[in-house]
Amino acid sequence: MPARPKTGRRRTIRVRGISVWLIALLVALVATVQIRSQAEVERSLIGTDPTSLAFLIDDLHRANESLDAEKADLVKQRGQLQSGQAGAADQVLTDEANRLRAIEGLTPVHGPGVVIVIDASGLTALDLQDALNNLAAGGAEAVDVNDRRVLMGVPVYQTGGGVTIDGAVVAPPWTISVIGDANRLGLVADLMTQQLRADRRVRTATYRVESDVVIRSVLTEKPFVYAVAS
Amino acid sequence: MSSRNLASTALLAVVALATGFVLAGQVKAQLLTPSNQVARYQALIRSVQELEATNADSRRQIASLRGQIDTLESQAAAQSAATQALRNEVADLRAHAGLSAMHGPGVAVSLRNGVAGPDAGAQTGYLVNFEDVQDVVNLLFAQGAEGIAVSGRRITPLSAFSGSAGQVVIDQGPPLSSPITVVAVGDRNRMQAALDDPSAIPGIRARQVQFRIHLTFEGSPDISLPAYDSSLQITHASPT
Repeated sequence: MPARPKTGRRRTIRVRGISVWLIALLVALVATVQIRSQAEVERSLIGTDPTSLAFLIDDLHRANESLDAEKADLVKQRGQLQSGQAGAADQVLTDEANRLRAIEGLTPVHGPGVVIVIDASGLTALDLQDALNNLAAGGAEAVDVNDRRVLMGVPVYQTGGGVTIDGAVVAPPWTISVIGDANRLGLVADLMTQQLRADRRVRTATYRVESDVVIRSVLTEKPFVYAVAS
Repeated sequence: MSSRNLASTALLAVVALATGFVLAGQVKAQLLTPSNQVARYQALIRSVQELEATNADSRRQIASLRGQIDTLESQAAAQSAATQALRNEVADLRAHAGLSAMHGPGVAVSLRNGVAGPDAGAQTGYLVNFEDVQDVVNLLFAQGAEGIAVSGRRITPLSAFSGSAGQVVIDQGPPLSSPITVVAVGDRNRMQAALDDPSAIPGIRARQVQFRIHLTFEGSPDISLPAYDSSLQITHASPT
């Protein structure tokens, strides 16, 4: 009879031990599942987040619409050239030359857009380059800064005397005249001036939307020295 | 209750508590990532892929149409000296706008992602971004580059750079990501000297140190640039 309580205690200890091991096993199992599920999620979401993807889709839609417009324009040009009418080729070439002259900043242009005025001290060429890129991304078709025509390829450089455009110093305040879709450019200008006003170097940053911005400054065509047509 | 019993009860309580926490974590993780959320993400990816395919197809068509127009213009120019003069003028303007392929001496710059820092979740500084590409392109133009292409995409007078972390969008093209190659035709000695200058492109230089972003370049006696294959329309600006 004295052996009974000893056996009962042993059983209780064994049951407790098994319980602890079972729970430990469960913990290990759940922890493994948890870690693996997190790894799976990370793997599937690698790269771009859904918000960026949504923006990308929006950009691609807009880009594809522009490409469709370009295709339609080129099909029209091809049709004119194929028509065989007298002077058709001359007309296509003259229109193309006028369009390219405006794009390359070789002629004065006008149209709807915005005028941004930034008064600041200490802004650098990088700041101006960023502003110009933002406007280009907003659909700018022609840009002038303090009566200097600017487009991609025109050197905007930092010198000891300040920011230069094509070798000429542009002292603040900067008046940036931009032609393009006034609504779209207005949004860009609004965001830009808000950000600039938060910059300690900037005294004032304002913009106005105008129905007809006139840009009279022009660039001089530079012949190629190194490049050869393929 | 003996001290042994007390210890095993306490151990059981701790293990049960840990189980509860882990179970709660698991349930929460599953609630955050239901399968329909993953499906929605995959649908977004598919949309991007379809739009990119349409984009590439449109650009091929544009390149083909420009080729056909060039042939028709050439035929018309063969019949009239005035048309030929006009065509030469347009050819020159097209070359400056990036609408025709070119070659010549130049440099090829390669930009590659660096290494993520320990708190990489919050920082994307190790990724090549559109501002890096913009800075390199601006530097090369400032040093007299006569034409530039970024990973096969020709830069035009109206080109713009945009994108999010690690993605670079140029004009109407699909996003580019590391490695990105910037190829420029022009005075290669001048461009190489500028790229060698430690004070140039400060944003990239700082991240070269912090995140080991790669910027390498090589001069070449003959580099080719493709023609621009996207839209170059202006619909608001008119000659005065």
